[in-house]
Amino acid sequence: MINAHTTITETMNETEEEPKDFIKLTQAKLSVDEVSVLVTSPCCGAISLFIGTTRDNFNGKKVVHLEYEAYTPMAEAEIKKICRDVRKKWPAIKHVAVHHRLGLVPVTEVSVIIAVSSPHRIESLNAVSYCIDTLKATVPIWKKEMYEEEYSWKENKECFWTNMEK
Amino acid sequence: MVVVLYFARSAELAGVRSETVSVPQRITSLQLWDEIVKRRSRLAVLRDQVVFAVRQEYVLLGDQLLVLQSGDEVAIIPPISGG
Repeated sequence: MINAHTTITETMNETEEEPKDFIKLTQAKLSVDEVSVLVTSPCCGAISLFIGTTRDNFNGKKVVHLEYEAYTPMAEAEIKKICRDVRKKWPAIKHVAVHHRLGLVPVTEVSVIIAVSSPHRIESLNAVSYCIDTLKATVPIWKKEMYEEEYSWKENKECFWTNMEK
Repeated sequence: MVVVLYFARSAELAGVRSETVSVPQRITSLQLWDEIVKRRSRLAVLRDQVVFAVRQEYVLLGDQLLVLQSGDEVAIIPPISGG
């Protein structure tokens, strides 16, 4: 006799990937394609990206290029902390990538890329925003803005200790 | 002996990127700053802007007591501007 209710069990995709953090500080040109591929996952329907580029002007002065330096091991550790916090706040998130360029970055070139994947878009959109805001507040990286005649070490308004009451 | 690392504007003012400095094992973060400024006086202008990173953890300049081991890294951290 044929059972009218036949249940077919679909084998779910093999092992679900482990969530990963991809953190890179490099002098090489950054690639948005590379970062997108890193966070792509079959279980995710959304990838959100932030791309920071070098602007050609500040306060009426022409910016020739930016130069970045970092306390590299600590910068990587602080970015790792941000990834950990992101996962606590938005547990659905799958992969997080933070790539930051060091050294000389010409105008219009990319200095930072943040990418986050999640099953639905709300988490990755919020997480990317949180990542860049927190990076600017806590990660030991410095930017020197080179103008035509002079230069200036920039200071993020988000820098956490300059925001404290003195 | 701790390793002092200088970054960004503090490296320009100090004229070096790193050096070893002899300090007491137990010292407040403000006392540590004073010790460093004794050697690199041009850093004094940064007094109200910088923090330390001791063994890669941020420390504000103040009364916090540090326990330093030989070889520990102490970084001068001017206001940051990543991203």
